[in-house]
Amino acid sequence: MSNPILDSEIRLWVYQYFVDACGAPSPIEIAANFRLPPVQVEHALHRLQTEADALVRIPGSSYIWMAEPFSAVPTSFLVRSGARQWWGNCIWDGLAILALLCLDGTVSTACPFSGQPLLVTVADGALVNPRGVVHFVVPARDWWRDIGFT
Amino acid sequence: MLLFRSEEDVEAWCEHRQIARGATFDLARLWRLASAWYDDRLDPNWRRRTVLERQAILESVGLGGPFWRLTDSPRSERSITPGSDA
Repeated sequence: MSNPILDSEIRLWVYQYFVDACGAPSPIEIAANFRLPPVQVEHALHRLQTEADALVRIPGSSYIWMAEPFSAVPTSFLVRSGARQWWGNCIWDGLAILALLCLDGTVSTACPFSGQPLLVTVADGALVNPRGVVHFVVPARDWWRDIGFT
Repeated sequence: MLLFRSEEDVEAWCEHRQIARGATFDLARLWRLASAWYDDRLDPNWRRRTVLERQAILESVGLGGPFWRLTDSPRSERSITPGSDA
């Protein structure tokens, strides 16, 4: 049975888990934290994806893939701040992690054509000598048609 | 969304991949967009922003025009179905 308050609490807990643990909780970890049967958590995660657009599960599973801007799997956008690191889903999300957490840090990636490493630095809440060109392939209206490609 | 070394590399990558060139801009604009787009994600009362609210964020950083339109009918929230836009 749908429980919007519980879904909201799970969503927030997942995000805080990403912040603190630099990764995603498994459905079993969520179930243990909320003292719920795993199947109830699976249903909640399904609703959070399909009804609230709050997260994306790995296709064919109940494991979390993305809670934007965080990625649960390694990507080409490594975010570092102090001793902590996260993965962003794209350059937009990599920068968004630092902005969301109000942290100084870096986003490491590489030019997809030349392979040249690119490092974007944020200090005192601003970019430091930003260099590079951001390219959006997919028009905004199609961003969610295939979020993995986007 | 990818970060390239230069406009020339964007062109070459699109040609190599046989992908139509999309839209490009600089990191300063992306920083403003990233700061605004996700600033509510740790809010306990988070709700998904409406299309109009998200469109306003795009426009606030100067991203207007057909490429940045979140729906074919930007003034019609009812034309949006869950998961059809970002």
